[in-house]
Amino acid sequence: VARSAPEETVTSSFASFIHAVRPEHLSKIVRHRSKRMILDSIGVGLVGSTTHVFDIALKYCLELYSSVAVSNVYGKPGVKLSPTLAAFTNGVATHSMDFDDTWHPATHPSGAVLPALLAASQMLPPNSKPNGLDFLLAFNVGLEVQGRLMHFSTEAHNIPKRFHPPSVVGTMGSAAATAKLLSLSMTQCTHALGIAASLAGAPMANAATQAKPLHIGNATRLGFEAALLAARGMEANPFILDDISGCSGFSAFYSIYQPRSLSTPSEHHEFLLEKQDIAFKRFPAHLGMHWVVDAALSVRNLFVNYAGSFSPSLIRTIVLKIPVSKYINRPFPNSEHEARHSFQFNACTALLDGEVGLSSFTESSIHRQELRELLHKVVVEHPEDNVANFDKMYGEVAVLLKSGDVLTGKCDTFYGHWRKPLSRESLLKKFRSNASHVLPEEKVETIITMVDNLENLSDSSHLACSL
Amino acid sequence: MILDTLGVGLLGTNTEVCQKVKQYSKIYSSDISSTIWGHLDFRLPPLYAAFVNGVAVHSMDFDDTWHPATHPSGAVLPAVMALSEAFPQKKKMSGLDLLLAFNVGIEVQGRLLRFSSEARNIPKRFHPPTVVGTMGSAAACAKLLALNQMECKNTLAIAASYAGAPLANAATQTKPLHIGNAAKHGLEAACLASQGLQGNNQILDMESGIGAFYTDYNPQILPTLQSYPWLLDQQDVAIKRFPAHLGTHWVADAASSVRRKLVENSDDLLLLDTIEKVIVKVPEVKYVNRPSPNSEHEARHSFQFVACSTLLDGRMSVQSFASENIHRPALQELLCKTQLEHPSDNKPSFESLYCEVTVVLRDGNTISDRCNTFYGHWRKPLTNGDLEKKFQSNASEVLPAEAIEGVIETVYNLEKVEDCSVLNMFLSGQSARLLPEKLHFEHSNS
Repeated sequence: VARSAPEETVTSSFASFIHAVRPEHLSKIVRHRSKRMILDSIGVGLVGSTTHVFDIALKYCLELYSSVAVSNVYGKPGVKLSPTLAAFTNGVATHSMDFDDTWHPATHPSGAVLPALLAASQMLPPNSKPNGLDFLLAFNVGLEVQGRLMHFSTEAHNIPKRFHPPSVVGTMGSAAATAKLLSLSMTQCTHALGIAASLAGAPMANAATQAKPLHIGNATRLGFEAALLAARGMEANPFILDDISGCSGFSAFYSIYQPRSLSTPSEHHEFLLEKQDIAFKRFPAHLGMHWVVDAALSVRNLFVNYAGSFSPSLIRTIVLKIPVSKYINRPFPNSEHEARHSFQFNACTALLDGEVGLSSFTESSIHRQELRELLHKVVVEHPEDNVANFDKMYGEVAVLLKSGDVLTGKCDTFYGHWRKPLSRESLLKKFRSNASHVLPEEKVETIITMVDNLENLSDSSHLACSL
Repeated sequence: MILDTLGVGLLGTNTEVCQKVKQYSKIYSSDISSTIWGHLDFRLPPLYAAFVNGVAVHSMDFDDTWHPATHPSGAVLPAVMALSEAFPQKKKMSGLDLLLAFNVGIEVQGRLLRFSSEARNIPKRFHPPTVVGTMGSAAACAKLLALNQMECKNTLAIAASYAGAPLANAATQTKPLHIGNAAKHGLEAACLASQGLQGNNQILDMESGIGAFYTDYNPQILPTLQSYPWLLDQQDVAIKRFPAHLGTHWVADAASSVRRKLVENSDDLLLLDTIEKVIVKVPEVKYVNRPSPNSEHEARHSFQFVACSTLLDGRMSVQSFASENIHRPALQELLCKTQLEHPSDNKPSFESLYCEVTVVLRDGNTISDRCNTFYGHWRKPLTNGDLEKKFQSNASEVLPAEAIEGVIETVYNLEKVEDCSVLNMFLSGQSARLLPEKLHFEHSNS
């Protein structure tokens, strides 16, 4: 039985929002924050194009597809792919090192949206290219939808256990963003969401493996495909976001699900990004690592003051006080992917080297003797007050010396967290460092300028072309 | 199963949903290409061929169903067939290779379904083909690609990250994509694994792996290969006689015997004025409970629709779901008099459910009948003759007679076929007379 227009459903309110929101609805803060996200995302994608997992994804796409190759691939100037595969490949690049942004409730929002938009912008014919402001709006639609969906379940507030959030909400965000960029009708937006739901949801178990980057690659690609299918008239369940008992829609991914309608953007729509900023990572590892690293660095400073230099032989035990989260508790990681998801590894690296960076996760770094020895001294504790939640957790490192002395450090808010955001200088430093791995200096600066002035860009496909 | 699946797939190529995905997939083309069933005019890259053919197979809900519940063949066959054409230079796949890979794909699905007691009932949360179907396709493709043990593990791990679509898109145009995507994504997982991509090699063991799709999950290791107990040996599939949700097949058989008691001759029209109400006793399955379906997709998922349609026409067919039949006034009138009841002993499981149809007449009489096992169910399988009839009826919508015969003969003799690409050639519409050199197998019967 079709519902009549005035009776609104959650799903229709989302479709309405996607369809009706305009650039004027974006606030200054939202524009500013989202542009920072775009820049950071491109940077991590560019450096990510040097990874092995990226190689596999690219090779796979090239072997199987050649035609309609209009969309650029990060860091590969001569190479183009069909739009959805470019999105896939660039999404994999973005998440390949776990260097991309993280939000609260937890997900990696930008990587699921940006690659699809970049690819789509190149797909559209020359006389209907979206301008920079359209692009920025579509990007924010993708973020907003993800954020709103996560608020439908209290489960989403904590570090995930069952489904990897980017694969759940990211796919929906990509569908919404692409639907917006492609100017789909309200009905088509509804169906894009419905089709996307059937493409969402990957289990957590592949986190800390080489397959994890595919979660973002697929989120952005499949959401994009959902929008393309909807554009061609494919129909799905128009109540996909609503709670229909006995037959799960999007609620399938949560045990508790309380959806709420989105208000049609009137004069003032408050985007979630306004109230809740993003965290940018300073080194390529799971967000949780950033707390223990900052704590470990402060302990290392104390140590150096105490003993003149950092001497592992003086250490009896290293105690890490961390929240309970199985997939990031790894005493002896064996691969780069496991190392990026290991409290123990990151704490010890910080203690040994005084910093954690790209090179901390190479094969030789992971397997070096001194690090393995230090790892043997680590024990973990899970204080009850340390919740597995990116808004509330903390990291505490205590180094027990053989002399009996104890050096401790605690970090409540690491630098880069939304409560202590990266400065513009730090963000640009990260971008330049990442991008320069694959692009010449002029191109790097061009991208920075373009993103800074995104609202004034007349043809947003120039951004994709510059990659 | 292979024959039935090919037939429903061929028929399905004409559906609207299939037209849309064909159009969509054409934006991808490449040098390596695979057959689109029923089409000589274009080909697609293997992944999209698997996708499109998979959509075709499930487009009308006409494909096979197993217990525990899933649609096993549609997720596997399109993938292995597309893959078999992907590497023509490197190796020729024999019919036996194809048959074995297909059965690996079926077996893996069955084993996974047995890891959760939830799976024994008609689903509520995730549509099973999207969970186990993706894994089955992945396994089958890994087999056909002759991947090593490590690569097979990674195939499964990668596939898990593609698995799982919510049930809500059942009874919509998107549902067929569930099977299309299962086939395509399983194939993709195998391809990525063969390129060296790695995932979690305990993907089937962990709750946060495939366990994520179930509330109770108890995985078991497989028996050794020595006299391997295939699940298909112990548990057959159900083959549908008309294109609608399996649950409606009990309703059709019960309703048709009620109708036979109501009218003297089968050609007689049912006298609607004499009917007070129609009561249909079925298990509680929300997504098949639709008092007034509006589209073909909804009609295929409606106990009420199938009951009324059968009472009116005597039997269900492909034509029953044509738009003019869905909306005819006589049917609408009868639907208004129809209600469902859910007896507590009627469990929502394809192994144990039953249907009772009761027509209450205005004069007070009631005519009732009950169906415990419909014809086509695994307890009462279709005869070979009827299976072939279904295939011929389906395939004749898109293939010439010689190609139809070619498919039947090839499938029945699959183990002896040297080069399984002959099957794809028939499916694209090419006839036997043109390809005598391809028919390398012993003629045992014809």
